Amino acid sequence: MSEGHPAKGSEGRRVAGLLAAATLAATSASGAATGSPVEVTFLGAPSSAETIATGEVLYAEHCAACHGENREGQPDWRRRLDTGRMPAPPQDGSGHSFTHSDAHLFAMTKSGIEAVVPGYESDMPAFEDILGDAEIIAILSFVKANWPEAKRIFQAGLPGMDKGTSGQ
Amino acid sequence: MTDFKQLRLNRRAFMGGVMGASILGTTSALGAATPAGARAVAFTGSGAVAIGDAFLTSEDGGASWRQGARPDRKLVALATHPERPNRLIVALEDGGVAVSHNEGKRLVPAGRGLPATEIGALATAARLPDTLYAAIPGDGLWRSEDAGESWDFVMDRPFIAGEERDVLSLASVDLASGMGGIWLYGGSTGGLQRVPDCFCRWQDVQPEHALDALIEGATAPDTVPLPSGEPVRALISSPAAPNRLWAALPSGIWATADAGLIWGKANSLVATTLASEPTNPDTLIAASPEGLWHSRDAGLTWATSTIL
Ligand code: HEC
Repeated sequence: MSEGHPAKGSEGRRVAGLLAAATLAATSASGAATGSPVEVTFLGAPSSAETIATGEVLYAEHCAACHGENREGQPDWRRRLDTGRMPAPPQDGSGHSFTHSDAHLFAMTKSGIEAVVPGYESDMPAFEDILGDAEIIAILSFVKANWPEAKRIFQAGLPGMDKGTSGQ
Repeated sequence: MTDFKQLRLNRRAFMGGVMGASILGTTSALGAATPAGARAVAFTGSGAVAIGDAFLTSEDGGASWRQGARPDRKLVALATHPERPNRLIVALEDGGVAVSHNEGKRLVPAGRGLPATEIGALATAARLPDTLYAAIPGDGLWRSEDAGESWDFVMDRPFIAGEERDVLSLASVDLASGMGGIWLYGGSTGGLQRVPDCFCRWQDVQPEHALDALIEGATAPDTVPLPSGEPVRALISSPAAPNRLWAALPSGIWATADAGLIWGKANSLVATTLASEPTNPDTLIAASPEGLWHSRDAGLTWATSTIL
């Protein structure tokens, strides 16, 4: 799963670097899980019900202020703010989160959007000094667990999802 | 996408072509000139159409044109798709779209949900013939997934050099974005950007390993963007070779062979609209304020088209 294949896609190696540790965290987060009811995986490892429950609490604490209590995003999120930046999109499957691989979701949460689009300016904070890798994985597992099934299937087919690394 | 070594090769070949172009320039034909005022050109199942003040059709790839029946509404933008050979989707002066299933003979109004503002750019999705994109000045990007019948707002305008920019030209480029879809390129009043067709964010065209280079302190791969500060009035990608794009700027027609990393000026023709023959990247049509032009060498040289 984390053989360190430098992923071919943009920012691949950078993301792969971030992932070395994260994949370990994902594996331990899944623990001896026998599979959660919705069978969510993150970076190739199944997310346990406990991980998802932890993620729900952490989401409310760290993400809900911008992405919405029910992951609905900021109002009118497709239109720029007066500052020229984009509002926080929904995380409930009605936005575009599911078009990002796990590796990219992780990288954006840990290091900000510029981790996947160099030079991009946004209001999305980098959480690397606030949340541990396992906590980020728990939050994103919770988010994924609440996407409609069709969106999870779409995301599972994205480049890089088979290996748990990014790639195009 | 192309790897960097390949890009270098392409670049050399490409620059060679560009040098040739400045010598050859443009040539005038002997026949009668085409009328000025074409707002858009496109290839269709049987040839090509040009719309604007007149409605013209061509059966020889844009070399010669015939006057068609003039529609009762003035048309400002045009979208076709190789898999819908007889269908034209047009944007109307003062707003809205209309659809024709017989190459323009009859236009049926469509466009439910669109604001009543004139569309600035219209494009068909390369892989989805019934998906269309429309850019509206002062507003943003709209999408229809039912061949123009109904529309939804999908994305704000690009933000370049501190300002929101109106999109003047759109090209659906059949290259994987890595996000489950392909890219939509937008030429704006302030330059070129692209957005994955999931509409997460407008961004510059960047080489695949730009970020690695930043992190590792290595030299970033070369890019030669379009000249800054010029509006991108027209933008097309070859359906047969999607990494080949052409952009019409006030300084001339620019071309790229690597999806927009390295651009070079192909010719100084000041075009306002462009079209690429779906199966042959060498065959292009353009309109300038003077009339219609055609190229058979991927935009390096242009000849004036004639009216029959
Ligand atoms: C201060 C407000 C703010 C907070 C807090 C915040 N975000 Fe964001 N987030 C944003 C904004 C704004 C964007 C859109 C950035 C853009 O594309 O320009 C975004 C985008 C994202 C994206 C990429 C777009 C997408 O939908 O996939 C992810 C993933 C994301 N946020 C995850 C999180 C997670 C997880 C948390 C909590 C740990 C969080 N965010 C907390 C503002 C915030």
